[in-house]
Amino acid sequence: MASLDQLKLTFFDECGEALQQIEAGLTDIRAGQGSDETVNAVFRAVHSVKGGAGIFGFEALVGFAHVFETVLDGIRRGTQEATPETLDVLLAASDVLSDLVQMSRDGASVPPDFGSDCRNALEQIIAGDHADKGAGEGENAIAPADFDEIDFTPVRVDQMDSGPNLADQSGPDAIASLKSFAITFRPKAEMLKKGNEPLYIFRELRKLGDFDLIAEMDGLPPLGEIEPSRPYLAWSGTLRCAASRAEIEQVFEFVAGDCDLEIVEAVPVIALSMTETAEMPVSATPEPNYPAPAPTPDATSDKGAAAAKVSTPAASVAKETAPVAGAAKESAPAASVSRAPSAKPAATTTRIELEKIDRVVNMVGELVIAQAMLGQIVLDLPEGTSGRLSQVLEEVRHHTRELKDSVMSMRAQPVGAVFQRMPRLVRELATKTNKKVRLEMAGETTEVDRSIIERLGDPLTHIIRNSVDHGIESPADRLTAGKSEEGTIRLAAEHRGSRIVIEIIDDGAGINSERVLKKARERGLIGADAVLSDDEINNLIMLPGFSTAETISDISGRGVGMDVVRSNIQNIGGRISLKSERGRGMTIQLALPLTLAVMDGMVIKVGKEIYVMPLSAIIECLRPARSEISNLIGTRGMLQLRGDLLPLVNLGDLLDIESATTDIDETVVIITDAGEGSRFGIVVDELCGHQQVVMKSIEESYGSVPGIAAATILGNGRVAFILDVEKLSDLAANSSFGAAYSSKAPLDVKAA
Amino acid sequence: MPNAIALKVLIVDDQNSVRQMTRLNLEEIGIRHIHEAENGRKAMETASVQPLDLIISDYYMPEMDGLALLRAVRGHPVARKVPFILLTGRGDRELVVKAAQAGVNNYLIKPFSAAILRGKIEQVMGKLS
Repeated sequence: MASLDQLKLTFFDECGEALQQIEAGLTDIRAGQGSDETVNAVFRAVHSVKGGAGIFGFEALVGFAHVFETVLDGIRRGTQEATPETLDVLLAASDVLSDLVQMSRDGASVPPDFGSDCRNALEQIIAGDHADKGAGEGENAIAPADFDEIDFTPVRVDQMDSGPNLADQSGPDAIASLKSFAITFRPKAEMLKKGNEPLYIFRELRKLGDFDLIAEMDGLPPLGEIEPSRPYLAWSGTLRCAASRAEIEQVFEFVAGDCDLEIVEAVPVIALSMTETAEMPVSATPEPNYPAPAPTPDATSDKGAAAAKVSTPAASVAKETAPVAGAAKESAPAASVSRAPSAKPAATTTRIELEKIDRVVNMVGELVIAQAMLGQIVLDLPEGTSGRLSQVLEEVRHHTRELKDSVMSMRAQPVGAVFQRMPRLVRELATKTNKKVRLEMAGETTEVDRSIIERLGDPLTHIIRNSVDHGIESPADRLTAGKSEEGTIRLAAEHRGSRIVIEIIDDGAGINSERVLKKARERGLIGADAVLSDDEINNLIMLPGFSTAETISDISGRGVGMDVVRSNIQNIGGRISLKSERGRGMTIQLALPLTLAVMDGMVIKVGKEIYVMPLSAIIECLRPARSEISNLIGTRGMLQLRGDLLPLVNLGDLLDIESATTDIDETVVIITDAGEGSRFGIVVDELCGHQQVVMKSIEESYGSVPGIAAATILGNGRVAFILDVEKLSDLAANSSFGAAYSSKAPLDVKAA
Repeated sequence: MPNAIALKVLIVDDQNSVRQMTRLNLEEIGIRHIHEAENGRKAMETASVQPLDLIISDYYMPEMDGLALLRAVRGHPVARKVPFILLTGRGDRELVVKAAQAGVNNYLIKPFSAAILRGKIEQVMGKLS
């Protein structure tokens, strides 16, 4: 049985989904792409948050959600116009709601005036709605009111009648007092002779309301004895209607003397009794947009039709407002065409504790290792003895891989979880900087491992901030440049091979290369006469200590720059690249691994040491001819590769490994990419093969070791370090031999 | 006097947390046969094949809301006599009126305790043992 705490977690998870739906729905409506169903979905989502919050006792959340919901309800019903201003308030409200959910989740106490600005704005919209409607509801109308006082008589199961319900006939606006009459009708012998037909009477009764009839056939004689002119049947039934007793009696007027008639008013099904309704303070009417409850006619009044009449004002309110709803729809011509409704069908899911999944992930990791060991043993068997075994092993390998993929997909989450924070960010930044920015998102459902998702938030936030703050120009500048006033930032994710690629594209000003170059020279990041390609210049902004913002704004430019973003991305095994077109905009691309737990690695050997290099960092491996290598400084050399000169780093030197091969003919060069387009070659003794490895962190035990990312256990049971190529390039740059080339100032010297 | 253990109850709500909470409360009352559905349409599928003693349904749900479900139940040849309790929020007065017209047996304002739930059920089913 689920505990209350677990249920709360479930609730907060649902809140997350609801908030996403609210945000997306409102954005669609704002963009003129909303349909009635979009509004409904947003309303339902807010309502769900409110309902759940009520159940779990988050009062602040309930209160705010209620006001929010009231405005949405007005739009839904057409009493409130969905103007851009209103939608801005609603979007702001979705932010406040999201904050409140977060606070409730964290168990933080909510300051009493939290979100009061937004709340006031919402209340103002509601108040305005009232003024338009001219209804007399008071100013406190939004206060949640209880209506336990409603004189609703529960219907006991043994009193239930059935048949078609009254609501279908009388329409939704007939707010009337329904009474229930038990009618027994027993025609006397003379009745049929006078030309009265019981069927007509029943038809008349049906016109009054919901009429259920049972024939009593006890008096029916055998067929031969039936006298056609004599009534044998009697009927009893229940009539639920708004009509009075007198009206019912009227129906029986012509047969009054010719039958036994009994009309008994039963326990009322529902009675919003006159007195109770009147006593309810008007100001406490909970849903101001509802038509005012029609006064209930006096139960004993003989003008039964009054019920229908009083309800007409309510109906007319609804009718008057209908055109408003129509207008709202017209103002959004693209309504419900271009996008699927925000309401997503609920997938069949089960919630599993992350810990349990992680345990499975670990087990799969061990399995991968065991399988590698097995592979090693099979390999060591004498020739010709392993045929069948190899086959089975291949199968095991195949299944292990699938098992791994399935488990990883369990841990995977859609990047939407991170993306959903961005619209709000953009909105807030745009307001602060007086810019007009539209955020487009695509591929929110692309899945990636949780651990990646968790570490993606900060870099992405930073990049988006930069785009709004530095990339997108002011509306005036944009118009001057011949662009539309509104800037666009596109955030898209997709799977490419074994990686997920996230692109952030803006149509802003792009990078000012001259300024970047000048700055880089001033700060001594590059030599005064270095010749750099445009891409290389642009990549300079990701160097530590580089910030070109002239003014340190509130938003970005606090010294935490793109270098932090780059190292964040690299820490999770990702790569960041950047393209800029002056005046046209900029594209930042993040390529990330799908998981951090298991990766494809290249097992390499230097001297007696075995290392693993992430396959993703390797561009190619080759065994160069001696003539292609020029020894410039010490043991370090340059490799001439298809017209480019690449620096070479000897891994044995770098890691201080004795007995590394020094003979250039015996070595292998691995060309790697250390990011930002700077390639270099790592010289190793031998490639031992490609293998999936399970990453085991060593940081807890040894702290951060430069050049080493993690450790793994190989098939033979040996522990091997996984190299951190990026850090290796830094190491090489900083070592005494590194003067000739620095990874920090990528130097892609063109062969003369 | 209906025996709580024997009652078959269907909870209809699009929010899993509310369903689970309602389930907890029902279990506290002693009800053991509990079905769940996440919207009116699914509830109707269950109600068509499953003998039920009580339906407790939320109103706001995608696909088919609580009122539509109530009407569908009342119009269903087999399920039409199944007692129906509607979950509402505070202030949904108009909804209760409509539901009453459509033949609801009782309504229940969220949030509610097991005791309130029991009271509302007993108003419809009679005292539970």
